[in-house]
Amino acid sequence: MSFSKEDLEEFKIEANEILEIAEKSLFKIESGVDFKGAFDSVFRALHNLKGAAGMMELTALQHHVHEIETLFMRFKGATAIPKSHVDFFLKGIDGVRILLGGGEISFDYTPPGSEHEAMVEPAVIATEPQLLAPGPITAPAPIPAPESNVNVATAAPVVDSALDEFVAEGMEMIERISKALGAIEKDASSKEGGSKETLNDLYRDVHSLKGASYLFGFVSIGDISHAMESSLEPLREGTHLPSVELMNLLFKSIRFVEVEMDGIKTGRVSEENRASAPALIRDLSIACKNLKPINHGVDVKVNSKPSEKQNVISMVPAQNANDPSEKERDSASSIRVPVALLDNLMTLMGEMVLVRNQVLQFSNHSEDLDFLNLSKRLNVVTSEIQGEMMKTRMQPIGNILNKYNRVVRDLSQELKKNITLTLNGSETELDKSLLESIKDPLTHIVRNSCDHGIETPEIRAAAGKAENGNISIRAFHEGGQVVIEVSDDGKGLNREALLAKAIEKGLVNQAQASAMSEKEVFNLIFAPGFSTAAVVTNVSGRGVGMDVVRTNIEKIGGTVELSSVTGRGTTTKIKIPLTLAIIPALIVRSGGETFAIPQVKLEELVRVEQSASENRIEYLHGAPVFRLRGNILPLVDLNKILGVSKGEFKNRESFNIAVLSADQCSFGLIVDEIQDTGDIVVKPLNRLLRSLQVYSGATILGDGSIALILDIQGISKVAHVGTSKNTGKTQRVDQKSTSDFQEYLLVGLNSPTKHALVLGYVNRLEEFKRTAIELSGKMRMIRYGKSILPILNVSELLGYGSSQAASTKETLSVVVIQKGGVFYGLEVDEIIDTLSTDADVDSELTRQSGFFGNLNTKDGLIVAIDPFEIIALAYPDSAATVKGGVVGSIQAVSKKVKRPLRILLVEDTVFFRKAVTIILQKEGHEVTIAVDGKEAVEILNRTAGAFDLIISDIEMPRMNGFEFAQAVRANQSFSLIPLLALSSRADKKYAEQGMKAGFNRYLEKLKPGLLIETISDLMDEGRMAA
Amino acid sequence: MSEVSAKSQESVSELLTTFYVGNEYYGIEVMKVQEVTGTPVVVPVPLAPNFVRGLINLRGQLATALGLRELFGAGEGEVNQQMSVVCRMDGNLVSLIVDQIGDVVEVEGKIYEESPETLPPGIRKYVKGIYKMNGTLLSLLDMDKITKELAPNFE
Repeated sequence: MSFSKEDLEEFKIEANEILEIAEKSLFKIESGVDFKGAFDSVFRALHNLKGAAGMMELTALQHHVHEIETLFMRFKGATAIPKSHVDFFLKGIDGVRILLGGGEISFDYTPPGSEHEAMVEPAVIATEPQLLAPGPITAPAPIPAPESNVNVATAAPVVDSALDEFVAEGMEMIERISKALGAIEKDASSKEGGSKETLNDLYRDVHSLKGASYLFGFVSIGDISHAMESSLEPLREGTHLPSVELMNLLFKSIRFVEVEMDGIKTGRVSEENRASAPALIRDLSIACKNLKPINHGVDVKVNSKPSEKQNVISMVPAQNANDPSEKERDSASSIRVPVALLDNLMTLMGEMVLVRNQVLQFSNHSEDLDFLNLSKRLNVVTSEIQGEMMKTRMQPIGNILNKYNRVVRDLSQELKKNITLTLNGSETELDKSLLESIKDPLTHIVRNSCDHGIETPEIRAAAGKAENGNISIRAFHEGGQVVIEVSDDGKGLNREALLAKAIEKGLVNQAQASAMSEKEVFNLIFAPGFSTAAVVTNVSGRGVGMDVVRTNIEKIGGTVELSSVTGRGTTTKIKIPLTLAIIPALIVRSGGETFAIPQVKLEELVRVEQSASENRIEYLHGAPVFRLRGNILPLVDLNKILGVSKGEFKNRESFNIAVLSADQCSFGLIVDEIQDTGDIVVKPLNRLLRSLQVYSGATILGDGSIALILDIQGISKVAHVGTSKNTGKTQRVDQKSTSDFQEYLLVGLNSPTKHALVLGYVNRLEEFKRTAIELSGKMRMIRYGKSILPILNVSELLGYGSSQAASTKETLSVVVIQKGGVFYGLEVDEIIDTLSTDADVDSELTRQSGFFGNLNTKDGLIVAIDPFEIIALAYPDSAATVKGGVVGSIQAVSKKVKRPLRILLVEDTVFFRKAVTIILQKEGHEVTIAVDGKEAVEILNRTAGAFDLIISDIEMPRMNGFEFAQAVRANQSFSLIPLLALSSRADKKYAEQGMKAGFNRYLEKLKPGLLIETISDLMDEGRMAA
Repeated sequence: MSEVSAKSQESVSELLTTFYVGNEYYGIEVMKVQEVTGTPVVVPVPLAPNFVRGLINLRGQLATALGLRELFGAGEGEVNQQMSVVCRMDGNLVSLIVDQIGDVVEVEGKIYEESPETLPPGIRKYVKGIYKMNGTLLSLLDMDKITKELAPNFE
């Protein structure tokens, strides 16, 4: 026993390979293909194994193999081996496996030919002590031999991984078995008990399952599969027809095995399940006995010698190589590889491509012919590897769709409905990880269709439909996405019932309900806790299904859609985008960055010269359009959508337009430059970037640079192309970026509407006793620390009148605001809550001082109030700027003569950007936006400072306001443009610093009146100076 | 959560990768850091929040570059050379852009303390706790909080 653990491991691996070959060849013998070759192969395998076992001093194993080999040799020179003998040899091979696994076997070396001579004492083969390896197996526990030199602790993981493999393989077998059972059942009515082929496959799988589970000591699975095998025997031999009862039991059994297998996987054995085993086995054998024999009439041999000849002879003739089912079975040609390994390989592949590219670039400068040739070959080979590598992760969707045969079958039994499932497009390939994640959602949908969709045969008959219900699953590629459609011809969704339920659950109110479109109504089904099933069955109806479906699908970036015709059926459409798939794409450049447009969305490319008299871009109410073959094509400027550069659009000489197809319509996307087409690997983006709506992913280009992949659908949404007139809604959609969330403080005033202040301006919240109020003249004051806090009643100032209810309260709620270094107390009726919302501030209809605008939130309209203007209403003097003197209200401004200005707004916060833009645009100014100082400088450089005024924030990334102001003042060409600072930090220190940096004015944010006043003031100054 | 971590850290020492952002000294657990690289080529993502500097090609994989200055609201400043600290979080690669990289230091639980209430709220939510080092304070960053910024919840 001088062999190391490694030697033994190696031997085991080799032995298993040999066994595989032997087993495969045995099956070949059984099917009658190339008998001689197969026979030799089995013999060689056994012989080699014997030799190797001897060499490793595994005497028990050697003995066992020797016995088998001797028996096998009896058939040398024969032309066939009886089926029962093949079984015998297969069992022998299983025995070898048990021994290899460190188990103990008791084997009857009497070949099946001499059965009636009874079982002559089965030889008990001792365990091989070297091979002992304790594991989580309940196997016939071998007693470890004392002189065992195997390191027990390190041997265990080997078993673990073997166990994993067993489970994985077992699951596959279960799937294949279910599939075969389904096929047999389908054929049962038409043909004589299913095709021979299917039965053989089935039998073989059940057999292997039995072997494997006994090998690993899972007796319960072994027993059941044994019973299944026995009951399948008569079918396989073609003597009997399958009965409905037997099929049901077989399905039940495979269910049992599946549950057990799950138990093994998770380590939790279902006792309940296990307890059902004996009854199942008994039923199986009874059902088997009750089978009706096939009345062949002429075939007498069937009864006289059932097993041998018929099976040997009736086998399928030589199969050709391209038989897909054969390919599937050819297990030696495929291996199991962990996905993580593939991922690593992919990553390495990426690196290799980059190196290749560098080599290629380098070779361009080289004169060395050999080197050039080599680099060319490197190029070709790398590309090929890359291509093949990509394929490794793709799997046909059929792998999971087949599972639903079982689901539907089981459910139709359980629900007493007749349901047929048809699968289409099983060959559609999808990334393995995606396959896994759509499995559960699909199960939900299929179960729902069975339970809620398809009616019982009686109802169907009454409705004049065929009693048999149909569910079909269709998978296909469409528009760069994989679409999976589950449709049933059941009762469909009932709009009224859905709405009634939704109202009952409080999801919508009566008024909303009547205004809802069909699609919106159907979407209610995805709301959490929603279920229309009158009775909660254990199949579905608990209302946890569909929202989970949607969440899971959306998690992988897909969408779920539902359409239904009452009485005719429901179709659920799952669209999954291609992540990690390779797509052909057009590479374009815009605003200095590179972007990729999925080729499937691209219709054509158009280049427009503005100098041409025809075919040029025209402006329709300011919006650019292009006449493409007579039809008007809306144009979208990518630069503008992405906010990368603006202002020069109209001045350009020529345009590159990519005509793209979005959901309902086409539009033209204007890009700076069109580069190339090529296959790109889609890399998913994180949620934050996905939520920007305009990117569907990113990719690494050949030269190692990164290009963002444009989400054409998203862009069309953001640009309002092809959307309905409901602009309020779309605007909210395009705003859904995180930075758009603005925090508000909700307060109650003497008004039914809630009011909100921007939380950032709130200094403190206080509760004061009413008795603490003192009067100074007419003003109410409260001593507040060392200072005096004037109390302003917001309700009164806004014209709501003071509320009775609040004034009788003992305390008053006060929001403390600091303005110009002084604290003011704003008295409100109630401080309600804070609110974080991405709703737009719509100041369109707000013309009254003190109001900032309206917020359209989910919970209704909320009025945003401007605390500074409220203070200004009460203390007009305090509205002075730091520079002092200017008092403003919009009314005053509107009297002045307005001149539209070109204004550059530099602001990093989306909220303020919007707010200020709205204010300025309302005044008729043209606003160009830069997100920080750096971009602003770029814009100024590009446009040679074609602006009348620059308004800038102070706190910004990359280049802040002070630096920006200095940069502007330092540049000759635009040093004269007036600069206005707009900051939330408006105390003196900052203001002084701002003035020093070059700002002409320094203002507090969110004071529209003051802002407009100051702008016109600045312009006047400028004019006078000129 | 913090209580538990504080207790468990009492006795054990931990290795931290340290770096500077602005004038502050920060650290993250060494095991969370995949690598530290020099100034990377960052491809900006238009429309993204300002703390997302952009995307980095890290040998064939995409990493999202987060500017810690922007994230912490540390403002601008003299930034000559920036370094990237690459961490793998939930399968995503995240590159933290910092001003300067420090040493890997070993810290003991006994010099650990909860972060004080008075930290500016913008930074406080990202700081798990403070290590009181000799002559300086080291803020231990909470990578989970930072990566949460990349997976906002919309519902």
